[in-house]
Amino acid sequence: MIDERIEEQAAMFVLGALSPAEAAEFSRALQSDPALREYVARLNKGAAAVAGNVPLVTPPPQLRAKILAQVAPQKIVSLPPRKFRPSSWLPWALAAGFAVLCIVLNVQDAQLRQTVIGQARRIGDLQQLADSLSSVTNDLQQSVLALQKTNRLASLKIAMLNSLLAEAPRTVAVSLWDEANQEGVFVVQNLKSLPADRDYQLWVLDNGTTPVDAGVFHVNENGGVRVDFKTKQPIKVAGRFAVTEEVKGGVPSPTIKNMVLASN
Amino acid sequence: MSSGAQINFVQFAPFGGENPAGHELFLTKPVNEQEAKDRDIELLRQIAAGDRTAFAEFYDRHSTLMFSIASRILNDPGEAEDVLQVVFLQIWETAGKFDAEIGKASSWAATLVRNKAIDRIRASQRRMRLAEESGVEQAIAAEAPDSANDTIYGRDKAQVIQSVIVGLPEDQRRAIELAYFSGLTQEEISKKLNEPLGTIKARIRRGLLKLRDQLEGLL
Repeated sequence: MIDERIEEQAAMFVLGALSPAEAAEFSRALQSDPALREYVARLNKGAAAVAGNVPLVTPPPQLRAKILAQVAPQKIVSLPPRKFRPSSWLPWALAAGFAVLCIVLNVQDAQLRQTVIGQARRIGDLQQLADSLSSVTNDLQQSVLALQKTNRLASLKIAMLNSLLAEAPRTVAVSLWDEANQEGVFVVQNLKSLPADRDYQLWVLDNGTTPVDAGVFHVNENGGVRVDFKTKQPIKVAGRFAVTEEVKGGVPSPTIKNMVLASN
Repeated sequence: MSSGAQINFVQFAPFGGENPAGHELFLTKPVNEQEAKDRDIELLRQIAAGDRTAFAEFYDRHSTLMFSIASRILNDPGEAEDVLQVVFLQIWETAGKFDAEIGKASSWAATLVRNKAIDRIRASQRRMRLAEESGVEQAIAAEAPDSANDTIYGRDKAQVIQSVIVGLPEDQRRAIELAYFSGLTQEEISKKLNEPLGTIKARIRRGLLKLRDQLEGLL
């Protein structure tokens, strides 16, 4: 018997209205409660009906090929046919036991292979991220050294910009702003290249709210660039930094929905 | 150049259309649910083993539903495309985690795309604004000429589903759609509708129970 409070939590869960912490807690409860799993499965049908009751929009035809091109090539593993030896006098029980053992080993082998592939992929991703961060760090060290020489570090604002794109979590950027001289340095890694008719545009948010144009830039083939920039208007307090994708040459006001990077 | 940010939040276009009540309730194109469900489970099993052909078939079976949901939430074809790409790659990577016990593959795929679209809205900090400006409460209130459910259940069955949804009490339907399409948490829905949290929870629960009971045997 599921009490009303849990039913309410289940309803919120299937609609995605629980906070991440609540959803995680509910997921744990779900794992150990078969009755709750069955209840959620039935509620899910209602949620699915709601989800699908939206206007039919067909994806563009080229999207299919684009997505398929991004997944790894198919691996076809051909296994040699197992030979049957009618003259064998092994007991049937032993044969059956051997077959079961083969199945178990095959399953374990497949699972192990998946785990190894997954771990190798994660190690590769982490290596790439480490390389990126190392590159950004080197650029920043150079910038800080240059600023130390001119005794400008005291008025320096340093901010890390995080990616807002779910598909580009490895994009990292750092902005340094020298308030006294009203100039800055911006370094980014792993930002996707844009077509020729588009530009990235850097913004300094004066007092953290008013966006001031700091110029446009393109990234190199590795998704990186270092930009020495000045703003179009004086900055009182460089509260935050942001990058948007805009039409070539930039725009007077940032297009919020095209924001790709932002600092806290 | 300094300027106040011109935040051009997109708006959801409300549905127009008729209530299909009175529509003849039989299937002109029956869909064998169990066969479809079994096929999806098999496809996901093959995808987990790295089978691109199965992946392509899964795309063909579910991409329209998923793109329709992403388009409804984001109201931007480009962003919907981006989300679809991300979610299909997620399916490629995590197909083995699908749990057939707690729902169909189409529901799982719909949830993945819904969550990713909501993440995107949250990332750009426009969720509350979208919910306020969109009139999202009409999102499931009235009939669209063709709904994404057509691709899953067939036209006639989809119309029955729609009539059941439209038949929900207004306050229950509104709370459900705010939760699903705007990605608001229960506390945020309570605040937006200026109703106690307990009332919102009860409304959503009752609404979903009604959907479950009335669609039992149909889905």
